[in-house]
Amino acid sequence: MKKLLLVIATLVVMPAAIAHDFDAGSIYIDHPMVEEAPPGARVLGGYVSLHNQGAEDDRLVAIESTAAEKVEMHRSVVTDGIARMTPLTEGIELPAGEMVWLGSDGIHAMFIGPDKRYVAGDEIPATLVFEKAGRIDVTFKVEERATTRAPGHGDHAQ
Amino acid sequence: MKSLRVLRIVLWALVLVVGAGAAYLFLSARNAPVDAGPAVYATPFTLIDQDGNEVTEADFLGKPSAWFYGFTHCPDVCPTTLSEMSALLEALGPDADRLQAVFVSIDPERDDVATMKDYVEYFDDRIVGLTGSLENVSAMAKARYIFFEKVPLEGGDYTMEHSASVHLADAGGSFFGTLDGEEPFDTRLQKLRRLIE
Ligand SMILES: [Cu+2]
Repeated sequence: MKKLLLVIATLVVMPAAIAHDFDAGSIYIDHPMVEEAPPGARVLGGYVSLHNQGAEDDRLVAIESTAAEKVEMHRSVVTDGIARMTPLTEGIELPAGEMVWLGSDGIHAMFIGPDKRYVAGDEIPATLVFEKAGRIDVTFKVEERATTRAPGHGDHAQ
Repeated sequence: MKSLRVLRIVLWALVLVVGAGAAYLFLSARNAPVDAGPAVYATPFTLIDQDGNEVTEADFLGKPSAWFYGFTHCPDVCPTTLSEMSALLEALGPDADRLQAVFVSIDPERDDVATMKDYVEYFDDRIVGLTGSLENVSAMAKARYIFFEKVPLEGGDYTMEHSASVHLADAGGSFFGTLDGEEPFDTRLQKLRRLIE
């Protein structure tokens, strides 16, 4: 919730010139970002919000990046005290008119095997592949990890 | 009519008994972490810390400790828990000296000593990182009722399922309770304060 408010606040406050968004026709892609990971970490969590402004349902079927061996879509959950991560092999559904946020409910893009260490301020090129909207090139911004919030770990208030 | 009254009395008596039982269970559950349980954290183990030194259970007794079991190929739950652990140590201020925070890799096949060093020190150099042979990590996890399991991913990769909470132990190695990522930061901070006071 806090992060959602932050997203809204950012949208309101941020001048258009430095806003970080991509328009893919019917899909509005806002603020793709990756959290800075420790040195040597072989995985990076990527987050982005996707607003399907079209009249038809769509689906994010893949994420590609030349900066990592592969990018998978996953969902992390904690059930009965056990942390689990399941691949979203069907991609992520984007119902018409709705906003889907990778970052809530543990949903994340997992960059596996990055080609180098990425730190806050770096940018990671990627392509979002939609079933209907096609291939859209975006840039994931690497940002510092905020200490007491839980990215991709539910949108509960802290 | 009379039997109905008897029934009513019996039912009220039942309510009282159940209520008293619930209160007892509630109170004893609340007090449970204070009573020293079996000292599972004193069970022998041998692992390697992030500086390559061999360590045993003895190195972590005599001081309360907070343990998290995770792995470095983890995009969210593990880094979040470690950065929150760092924030908790920060919030404890000088009292943080009275607590030992430990991150144990349950994926020792990929998490070697150098990886662990980079990883824990990125979050907080007060957190000790432990790895070792899979056999030794498994033995420790079993003794402490910690769950972990390898789960294959597509393309020969794998991920780990693991106990998500931070487990607390007192200076004598008795289990003291857990910190849950879903509970408010202040609740976790208070639990740590109770552990070290
Ligand atoms: Cu993942």
